Amino acid sequence: MGIITFILIGSSVAFPAVALYALWWAGREGQLRHQDRAALLPFDEQEPVGKMTDVVLNRPRPYATSSPAKP
Amino acid sequence: MSAPGTNRVLSALSPRDTDDPSPQQVQLAEIDDSCRGSVLLFFISGMVWLLIGTVFAIVASYKLHAPDFLGDYASLTFGRIRTAHLNAVIYGFSAEIAVGVILWLMCRLCRVPLMAQSVINSAAVLWNIGLLLGIGGVLAGDTTGVEYLEMPKYSTPILFLAFALIAVWTIVIFRFRREKHLYVSQWYILAAVLWFPWLYSTAQLLLVMDPARGAVQAAVNWWFAHNVLGLWFTPIGLASIYYVLPKVIGRPIHSYYLSVLGFWSLALFYNWNGFHHLVGGPFPAWMITISIVASVMMVIPVVSTAINHHFTMIGHFGKLKHSPTLRFIVFGAMSYTVSSLQGVLSSVRWFSETAHFTHHTVAHAHWGMYAFFTMTMFGAMYYILPRITQREWPSERLISLHFWCTAVGIILYVAPLSWGGWLQGKAMLDPKIPFLEVVKITLPYLKLRTVTGLLMAVGHVAFFANMIWLLVRTFGPYQQPQPMILAGVRTEPAPVGK
Repeated sequence: MGIITFILIGSSVAFPAVALYALWWAGREGQLRHQDRAALLPFDEQEPVGKMTDVVLNRPRPYATSSPAKP
Repeated sequence: MSAPGTNRVLSALSPRDTDDPSPQQVQLAEIDDSCRGSVLLFFISGMVWLLIGTVFAIVASYKLHAPDFLGDYASLTFGRIRTAHLNAVIYGFSAEIAVGVILWLMCRLCRVPLMAQSVINSAAVLWNIGLLLGIGGVLAGDTTGVEYLEMPKYSTPILFLAFALIAVWTIVIFRFRREKHLYVSQWYILAAVLWFPWLYSTAQLLLVMDPARGAVQAAVNWWFAHNVLGLWFTPIGLASIYYVLPKVIGRPIHSYYLSVLGFWSLALFYNWNGFHHLVGGPFPAWMITISIVASVMMVIPVVSTAINHHFTMIGHFGKLKHSPTLRFIVFGAMSYTVSSLQGVLSSVRWFSETAHFTHHTVAHAHWGMYAFFTMTMFGAMYYILPRITQREWPSERLISLHFWCTAVGIILYVAPLSWGGWLQGKAMLDPKIPFLEVVKITLPYLKLRTVTGLLMAVGHVAFFANMIWLLVRTFGPYQQPQPMILAGVRTEPAPVGK
């Protein structure tokens, strides 16, 4: 039981410590600021804001698939 | 195409240049391509486990109103088959799909290709070996008897090792990131890959390896069982929604501030929630009370997340007509709100005293794990698979069949069963009603549960068939010659979130 107790107490201290460190790191690195920019992170030049990226069902006319082109 | 040297494990352990001034130089197609093998490995094996778990579920459900069904086979008795179902869908389907999704999301958000895929592939193989041993052991009667940790001792070190590899590799990807600023999905993913090993190892040590005695066992068990849903699956579900929802509709999340608030409040409050399942148990009152208080505080992350999702979608609901991803993701996001608020209600003493130990709890678990998490994962897979294979989904009909069978199936599963569980609880509290009468009260709801299970099974088969068809188009002799249409449609530029 000694080793297990040691591991459990150690992890109980270590994990909250990691969480606190993460919060401190986030503050130091400016992760909690510049939120307008953060909201744009999933987008880039290839898939910019304003572009719908999943059109599979009931396609609008200009994007309807025709029969596959022959190789 | 992989980046130079990406096949070497050692070279992947130290960032080449995390200060890359042009983070968008890596093409999305290159990232998607690097993820293909590993993500497909997790997705295919996860889907196989879903089908196996679904068969187990239907047999177990049928036995609840026809107890003699397959009763002569020890491996197929209710206690084993229900346990096998739970482990197949939790550790087989849900965990494997979750890992596939987090790998792809992390690579996309860090803007780096997946490095040394052999490590991740080894983890996938190990994970499946562990599951085969574990679920085989359960069917052979070799269970621990601990809820959510039923798989025998000899399978768990393999599972732990596999997950440790996945967690370490997720952090390695993060270290290589070319985009310094973190998106909220990365917060959720990093937290989830740290939380799960902690939960799993602690619960294994205290419940299986060297079991604690008496009431402490129940406390640790509920701490683990509740947190594995809230601190492992929930963050991954939310990470997927926060990435995929804005991407599909082409609009940033309504309020990034609310998303961060949601993450940190989940991290602060969720860990305390599990003990509310022990209302009435032999525990100090403060222990239960603090858990109920933390459960009620969960309104903060839940409502902030719900507001954020809803306001992001306003003006874009018409896109549900075109996007299968959006249908599943929006269904999952709405279910997150409903199931979480139901969970808050269920934690309160007067409600728990009736609903606990009834089918109401089963319905609540399926609200969270299926209506929220599974539907969200389906949505994420609809988004990811065409990108990593560069092929269109072959059949729109199978997509529609999948959505309507699973959506209608789970609604008709949880809503009546929640009510049936409530009636069951009321009847059990009435000493004048014999127990057999209580069982009879639940019968219509249990039969409906089997029917809706079959409906969801049809949806699963439709999705699996569509996925295999897609893979045949990608790797088979008759490959679809024309790349998929990923161009999408242009919409008006949307305002940036607050």
